[in-house]
Amino acid sequence: MTLELQKPRPIWQIMFSTHHTDVGLLYLISSLTFLFLGGSLALGIRAELFLPGSQIITDAMTFNRIFTVHGTTLIFLFIIPFASAVGNYYVPIMVRYKDMAYPKLNAIAFWMIPPAGVLIWLGFADFTWYATPPYSIISAPGPAADMWIFGLKILGVSSVLGALNFIVTILKCKHPDMSIGQVPLLAWSFLSSSLIILVAIPTFAAALLMLLTDRLGASGFFNPAMGGDPISYAHLFWFTFHPEVYVLVIPAIGMMYEIIPRFSRKPIYSYNSGIFAFVLLSIVGFSSWAHHMYATGMSFTEKTVFMVGTLAAVPASAMHVFNFVATMWNARIKFSTPMMWSVGGIALFFSAGAGGVVNSAMPLDFTTHDTYWVVGHFHLFVMGTIAFGSIGFLYYMFPYVTGRMYNEALGKIHFTLSFIGTVLVFFTQHILGLYGMPRRIYDYPPIPEWIAMNQITTIGAMIIGISMAIFLANMIHSAGKGKIADTDDPFGLGGKYYYPFEAKNPSH
Amino acid sequence: MAILVALPAADFAFAAGDEPGEYLDRRAVIWNLFYKMMTVAFIVGSVVSGTIIWQVWRFRESHPKAKPTSYEGTDW
Repeated sequence: MTLELQKPRPIWQIMFSTHHTDVGLLYLISSLTFLFLGGSLALGIRAELFLPGSQIITDAMTFNRIFTVHGTTLIFLFIIPFASAVGNYYVPIMVRYKDMAYPKLNAIAFWMIPPAGVLIWLGFADFTWYATPPYSIISAPGPAADMWIFGLKILGVSSVLGALNFIVTILKCKHPDMSIGQVPLLAWSFLSSSLIILVAIPTFAAALLMLLTDRLGASGFFNPAMGGDPISYAHLFWFTFHPEVYVLVIPAIGMMYEIIPRFSRKPIYSYNSGIFAFVLLSIVGFSSWAHHMYATGMSFTEKTVFMVGTLAAVPASAMHVFNFVATMWNARIKFSTPMMWSVGGIALFFSAGAGGVVNSAMPLDFTTHDTYWVVGHFHLFVMGTIAFGSIGFLYYMFPYVTGRMYNEALGKIHFTLSFIGTVLVFFTQHILGLYGMPRRIYDYPPIPEWIAMNQITTIGAMIIGISMAIFLANMIHSAGKGKIADTDDPFGLGGKYYYPFEAKNPSH
Repeated sequence: MAILVALPAADFAFAAGDEPGEYLDRRAVIWNLFYKMMTVAFIVGSVVSGTIIWQVWRFRESHPKAKPTSYEGTDW
């Protein structure tokens, strides 16, 4: 496997390279930078909500700006680019090809991210990551809102280019000896999520253009004053962004499919059910978008269709969990840091899914709609499953990328604190939602239960913050001064890490 | 799945009437449904989480009864 940092090179050689591991490294550095930036904003939000009244943020609009940029950053500039980093490193190796199918396109897809990030951060828009119309059309201050729209537009193009590259690399560039049924599950996860991107993103691209022309006064698609309908924006947005949830979660599950068999020292229990579940999730992801909109006056029949469509994701998700549990059965599991993050991620994935079943039932959705329950549910997925899978995989990649080992004790402390913090923050937010606290509010009345639960949530967030500081120190220190890793077997699992069917790629 | 889908669906049908005074009944039905679903979720969740916790304890490599898998030492 290629170890990009073992031989120090000038930074410009990596920056202007089109080799897949160089581009992967750029994706990795960029996504981690945005993880810490977006995470810092989350700590600001939680500090503000520690008590009723204004704490550290002076006004509601600033608060709105902070959580808009927090959400946009962590979804579009951390999670998706991190998955691209992993895909760039591993997909060509797994399909036994020398590089991505279109290396220059690959580099272009990456280099669209920094300007988009700059636009989003310099603008600091205030209309939430959903760009809520008609506020976003009528009142959201420019140029912040316009910069956000352009930033998202650029990121959408970047995602589509990346998805095309993954699909062509996997389907057309895999080794002739390797059938599609032999491609490792991590690569399958990229194939599934890339297909979702190709189908889903153009809808949001159109919605963004319509939003922009509405803001310019040239059209009134979503502007009620001009005969438009904000609900139609909700349909366009969620048609993209419910499937997008699967774009985020499927690669994270793919990463667990790489880690769990390795550290269990046996193959995955059922390779075919893993593929089936990925494909099923990709399809049913498009049958559930309107469950975000039960409260918008849809008919009973429409709501029933989308409720059943949403529940259809349950069997696919359960297949993944069963696959992991069955793989670990009768194994000899080494609980190194990557495995701890993966197992923790499975547990939280299951908890988030159980909460999602409640959300998807339409009468219950009226109880939890726009409350902190939804915030807890969504974050349990993105932090508890996606970030846990991703961070675990980062520890797994670390010796291959740097040629050095991270500090195992610090990695385990990082996991333990993050797990405790995640449970404290997001489980509590579910209960807070049942107590009726609305989401996206800058201040709240001094109800004792609300205060207590907000304080628990803030303490949990601070614990996560401390764990992330340990993580950052560990990564930086170990990359330069960590122990030299045995790259044939950095985790002491025995044997060499061959991919199925002797994937010894001469190009790597 | 029958419990998760069929029972709630039947409850929605009963909750969907338009007679006067049904607003309160609907709230009762909704909360009843919530508790039912949470009961199912907690039971299934406990079984799965319990299984994972037991696996983590029993199949760790430091467990006294841990033994090599049949794949160790091979290029699986």
